[in-house]
Amino acid sequence: MTISIWRYSHLILAISSSLFLLLASITGVILAIEPIDNKLQSYYISDSENLSVSKTMENLSHNYNGILSINKDKNDFISITTVINGSNESFYINPFTGKKIGDIIEKAPIYKFATNLHRSLFLKSIGRFFIGLTSFLLFLIAVTGVILIAKRQGGIFKFFSPLVKENFSQYYHIIISRIVLIPIVIIAASGVYLSLLRFSILPETNIVHTVDYENIKDSSRATPTDFAIFSETKLSELKTLEYPFSDFIEDNYLLKLNKKEIIINQFTGEILSEQEYPFTAIISNLASVLHTGTGSASWSIVLGLATLAIPFLIYSGFVMSLRRPKTKIKNKFSKNNSKYIILVGSEGGSTLQYARLVYQELINAGESCFMAEMNNYSSYKQMEHLIIITATYGQGKATTNAKNFIKKFKNTEQNSPYSYSIVGFGSTSYPDFCQFAYEVDNCIDTDKKSNKILELHTVNNKSFESFSQWVNLWSKKVGVIIKLNKLEVASIKKKTSLFNVVHKTNVITTNNDNSFLLQLKSLTKTNYNSGDLLAVYPENDSTERLYSISKVEENNILISIKKHDNGVCSNYLNNLQINNKVEAYIIKNKDFHFPKKAPKIVFIATGTGIGPFLGMIKSNHEQKDIIMYWGARTKASYMLYKDIIEDSINNNKLKSFNTAYSKATENKIYVQHLIEKDQENIAALLKEKGVIMICGSITMQNEVLQTLEKICIEKLGNKLSYYQNKKQIKMDCY
Amino acid sequence: MKSTIETYLKVLVIVLLTFTFTAFTSKNSTQNYKCMIQMVNYSGEKAYVVVSLMNSNDTYEKTIYVQGDDKEWYPDLKKWWDFSTSKKEKIDAITGATIGNGERNIISISLDKKYINNGYKLRFESAVENQEYYAVDAEVVLDSETIKNKVDGKGYIRYVRMVPN
Repeated sequence: MTISIWRYSHLILAISSSLFLLLASITGVILAIEPIDNKLQSYYISDSENLSVSKTMENLSHNYNGILSINKDKNDFISITTVINGSNESFYINPFTGKKIGDIIEKAPIYKFATNLHRSLFLKSIGRFFIGLTSFLLFLIAVTGVILIAKRQGGIFKFFSPLVKENFSQYYHIIISRIVLIPIVIIAASGVYLSLLRFSILPETNIVHTVDYENIKDSSRATPTDFAIFSETKLSELKTLEYPFSDFIEDNYLLKLNKKEIIINQFTGEILSEQEYPFTAIISNLASVLHTGTGSASWSIVLGLATLAIPFLIYSGFVMSLRRPKTKIKNKFSKNNSKYIILVGSEGGSTLQYARLVYQELINAGESCFMAEMNNYSSYKQMEHLIIITATYGQGKATTNAKNFIKKFKNTEQNSPYSYSIVGFGSTSYPDFCQFAYEVDNCIDTDKKSNKILELHTVNNKSFESFSQWVNLWSKKVGVIIKLNKLEVASIKKKTSLFNVVHKTNVITTNNDNSFLLQLKSLTKTNYNSGDLLAVYPENDSTERLYSISKVEENNILISIKKHDNGVCSNYLNNLQINNKVEAYIIKNKDFHFPKKAPKIVFIATGTGIGPFLGMIKSNHEQKDIIMYWGARTKASYMLYKDIIEDSINNNKLKSFNTAYSKATENKIYVQHLIEKDQENIAALLKEKGVIMICGSITMQNEVLQTLEKICIEKLGNKLSYYQNKKQIKMDCY
Repeated sequence: MKSTIETYLKVLVIVLLTFTFTAFTSKNSTQNYKCMIQMVNYSGEKAYVVVSLMNSNDTYEKTIYVQGDDKEWYPDLKKWWDFSTSKKEKIDAITGATIGNGERNIISISLDKKYINNGYKLRFESAVENQEYYAVDAEVVLDSETIKNKVDGKGYIRYVRMVPN
């Protein structure tokens, strides 16, 4: 529940402030240019900071005799105000020559306009109040945002750990907000501070001088340029020097320095009053400099970029919340009148969509079915079959609406025995793939009334194909006829194109291991890499099947296919003749591309999982060290790949090819055994930032991961997830 | 033809003479002053101050100087604003930046001598965003005897002092 509170506050804060925030950020970007602009027209004279005030006064006195004040701005440009022919003039000077070097930079109308809009929306005090409030809301948005990211990433210390790309808005909203977080917090906090100062809520920071005017002396006169205070003070410390208004004894020099103000007797040079600025004055000055970027081009650029990010964050944030599917569940039957109970653990809502498909199909088949969030688990009087469809949140955590499930499950007893099946949704690019689903599985397994009718089924990256596989298995076990229609899923069918069949091998049949190779050529211009997926639509079937592909000579696509006796798609592909056309499209699978930067690579595959690796080996022109472990039932299916493998070894594109044939000898050997045997090498490879890529069945993947986990802990003292986070383990399993 | 040229020349001579005369007299008939406005230590925004020339009937003659360049706040200086807008004065050339509490502002003022010792005054009126408005914060009588005296203000101005320049 807690995450929703943060998410709702994040959203409500954003909605309530978005208009003002948009205005303030756009004008803010314009205003960020002003300090850069000013800095560029440089009136800064190098080394002037080491010149003394008295020397500057002397140099100026040769040129001007009505000087009212000397000023140094935040760009370190020095200017004076002086009376010339009866009127005041201000301009930049060179303190070494005492001569004018340029007119004061006038604030351009665009900046005046933007400043006014930015500060008060042209609404005077009311506008100031709203802008101040917006600043405060921005601060709260940043804080709730930090909490949301921390929760998603599994702790504040994993704040900057890699992120899984679910979609454009989600990915860049988080990536960009992590980058601009600190400047935005500074902008918001300093903005709030300046507003509070405006409305006199914070204490004033004035210095009040007390000078005993009755007893000011004018004996022992000296020339001002000889005053000790002026020769001791350098221009680097100076803010302003106000000259005495007239030669009245009451008039004096007022020297404003970075840290203090000094009043000096104009005749004797005696210090009449010296007061340091209070701490609040220094803070106020800091807040102003941090908020406006005055005097620093580089900080202004940071401010400008951070402010530019705000409109994007508003946009992507709203897209995220609008796209988040509705999570309300409507039921036709009550919980105690339903034979089928579907429980959903869903964070973004996409898992719920898949669950809805099953629910709808069961209702259409005339069955009584009840669907609920996992947190709402309770007793179900007529339950015969329990289905749990759950995602895993962030790194191995329960989703928000499933957090209390395990506790509730233990405290609730069902009336009669029931069958159950669990589907875990997740992404193999996260270390703890479907972790929560496994925990739920273990938990339900302990209930004496439960009967596990299917092993836990995992679905990678919302694969519809994988999900419908489970539906088929489950419906067969339970004895209810349901079939999913792909078109009912919210994600629409992609635009397909045609591929020409270039080459096809015969099926190698041994020991239930029927596989063949197929080469296709795209008839349209298509970019792809080995490791991408090909979604194939067999004729008269709207359900897609995914195959891992290899890129081989002449831009051809090579697929390694296992033929299932009743497989619609594999049989369709097997029946193809040369020059037949196939309807399909390519899905980018960036997480499973060849790691170009890795010094060494290990490929682990079983059966047709070797497919994508064939193309990667063939294109290893740099002759990097690639070691391959391959598992199959017998040696017979090796014949399909023999030419490519042997060729690659001869051309130094493949260092070694290690095989495990599980049905060939008495003692069954699997790939994980090969890896256990080679653990020293595997550990060394991970240490040297090498990459391990795994492709094949989920069962194999789990076995291999267990072996790798053991190696990591024993040989390297790290968990496997440490290397997964560094993207050193890449997986594409089904 | 000849008479036309003569007429032209005559006109030219008259114009030139008038111009030099007026230039000469204007140079002699104005007096420059340096004027210091010293603010008190109030709390709040920077103050808007306007300096106007008042005649002996206590009515506005013309605007001398406006301290504050954001027109948004001018209507707060109510009496002067009524006068200045009704007369459609152009004041862009006589405005300067606002001054904060405790600070001083030194301005240069140029006055026709006919205003000196003739009952005219300089009026300083002041306003601060969301705070009180002072229709008469300080007034300096344009009398050559007393003009150098310090004049205390009643509002945001602590005192005003003028010296001939």
